[in-house]
Amino acid sequence: MRPHVSVLRLPRGPDPNGRGFDPNSPRFIALCPTTISASTETGTDSVQIREEQRARSVLRESFLRTLIAMTNKQVQFHMYERVKVEAKFGASDIDVLNFQVSELHTPIGVQKEALLRCQDVISYSFDL
Amino acid sequence: MAMRQTPLTCSGHTRPVVDLAFSGITPYGYFLISACKDGKPMLRQGDTGDWIGTFLGHKGAVWGATLNNEATKAATAAADFTAKVWDAVTGDEVLTLAHKHIVKSVNFTQDSSCLLTGGNDKIIRIYDLNKPEAEPQEITGHTSAIKKALWCNNDTQILSAADDKTVRLWDRNSTEVVKQLSFDMSVSSMEYIPDGEVLVITYGKTIAFYNALSLDMIKTVDAPASIHSASLHPDKDFFVAGGDDFKLYKFDYGTKEELESYKGHFGPVHCVRFSPDGELYASGSEDGTLRLWQTAVGKTYGLWKCVLPGEFSCLMPNN
Repeated sequence: MRPHVSVLRLPRGPDPNGRGFDPNSPRFIALCPTTISASTETGTDSVQIREEQRARSVLRESFLRTLIAMTNKQVQFHMYERVKVEAKFGASDIDVLNFQVSELHTPIGVQKEALLRCQDVISYSFDL
Repeated sequence: MAMRQTPLTCSGHTRPVVDLAFSGITPYGYFLISACKDGKPMLRQGDTGDWIGTFLGHKGAVWGATLNNEATKAATAAADFTAKVWDAVTGDEVLTLAHKHIVKSVNFTQDSSCLLTGGNDKIIRIYDLNKPEAEPQEITGHTSAIKKALWCNNDTQILSAADDKTVRLWDRNSTEVVKQLSFDMSVSSMEYIPDGEVLVITYGKTIAFYNALSLDMIKTVDAPASIHSASLHPDKDFFVAGGDDFKLYKFDYGTKEELESYKGHFGPVHCVRFSPDGELYASGSEDGTLRLWQTAVGKTYGLWKCVLPGEFSCLMPNN
C-alpha cells in the first residue's frame, strides 16, 4: 500500500467570530490605503490628520455608546421599501451586520425573536 | 516509491462551491477566491488554503468570483442581481453594480480598470471602474443566459459562453461578433490562458482546446464522466478536469492519456483551476468544500511535506 503524502497541518478555517482580513497581517499593513481623507490630499498637514482621526474616534465611540444605551429599549427602525418596524433591541454583532431584536412588530405580525440585517436599515430611533 | 495524493480540504462554506479563481503571483504569494451558494465568497492564501477573510454583503448565492492580478481587488457575481467589487486587502465592499437579473460571471482587465459582467439577462456589460456611475457598455447577441464572459487578446476582445450552446468572440470597441462556435449542448465551463492564447472549453464528457484568437480547434479529449470544469497547466503539459462522478482527472495534454484520477470530494466537482505557478490545483464541489491537490505528488510545497524513508512525519492523515 503506497503511503500518503504527509502534511504539516490542515488549512486554517474561517474565524467564527469575524470576517477576517487581519489588519495586522503584513499585506494589510503594506497595502491598506489610509482611510483618512485628509491624508490622501497632497501637502498633508499632520495636525489635520490628527484632528480628523480625533473626530472619527469621537463619532465611533458615540455610536458604540448608542448601541449600549439602546439595549432592551423599544426602537423604531426605518428600512428600505418604506418598511417601518418596532422592536426591543438586544444586541449588535461585532461587524454591525445584524441586530438581534425581540418582539419585532411587523405589518404581518409580531416576531418573537429576529435578526435585522443592518444593510437594510436606513435609520433607527429610540427614546433615551 | 510513488506516494498517494493527500488533498488539503478547505472547509468553511456551507453550500456548494460553484466557482473559484486564483490571483497572479504577488509579493505576498498568490490568493484564491471561492464563490458559494451560501452567498459568502471567501479569500484564501493560495498555496496553503488558509482562510484570510469572507466578503460579506451579497444577499443571494454567489455564482462567480474573481481576483485581479495583484489580489488587491475582488469581484463577485450573485443571484441578488448584483455584481460587487471589493477591496481584497480589507474585505470592504467598494462598489455594487445593479443588474436586471442573476449575474453569473465577472472578470477584470489586466490593469483592473474595467470589469466585465455576464448573466441571465443575456447581456455582456463592461464597467469602467474609474467611472462607476457611468452607464456600462452593453454587448447583446446571446439568446440565452450567459455562463462566462472573459477578456482575451490583451483585453481587446471578449469571449463569452452561454446556454444558447454558443461561444462567441467579440470585439470590445465595435461590440460586434468576430467569430462564433456552436455546440450540440451547453458549454459547462471556459478557461482562457493568455500565454499561448488557449481556450479550454468543457461540454458533456469532453474537454476541448481552442486557439483563442482564431477559435480553431486544437484538440478534444473525452473523460469517463460528464465534466463541469477543466484547467490547463501553465506549462501546457497537463490538464485536470472534474465533474459528475466526484473525481478529479489528470491528463497528459500532449498524448491525451488519462494519467491519474483522484477521489476525495463527496459531491460533483463544479470548478477546478491550476495555481499560477502550476504547483497545485484547486477544486470546488457540491459538497461545500475546496480541495487543493499537488501537481507533483510528494513534493514539499505549501503544507505538503516530502518525508524521506526513516524520517519522522508531523501528521499522517487518515485514509
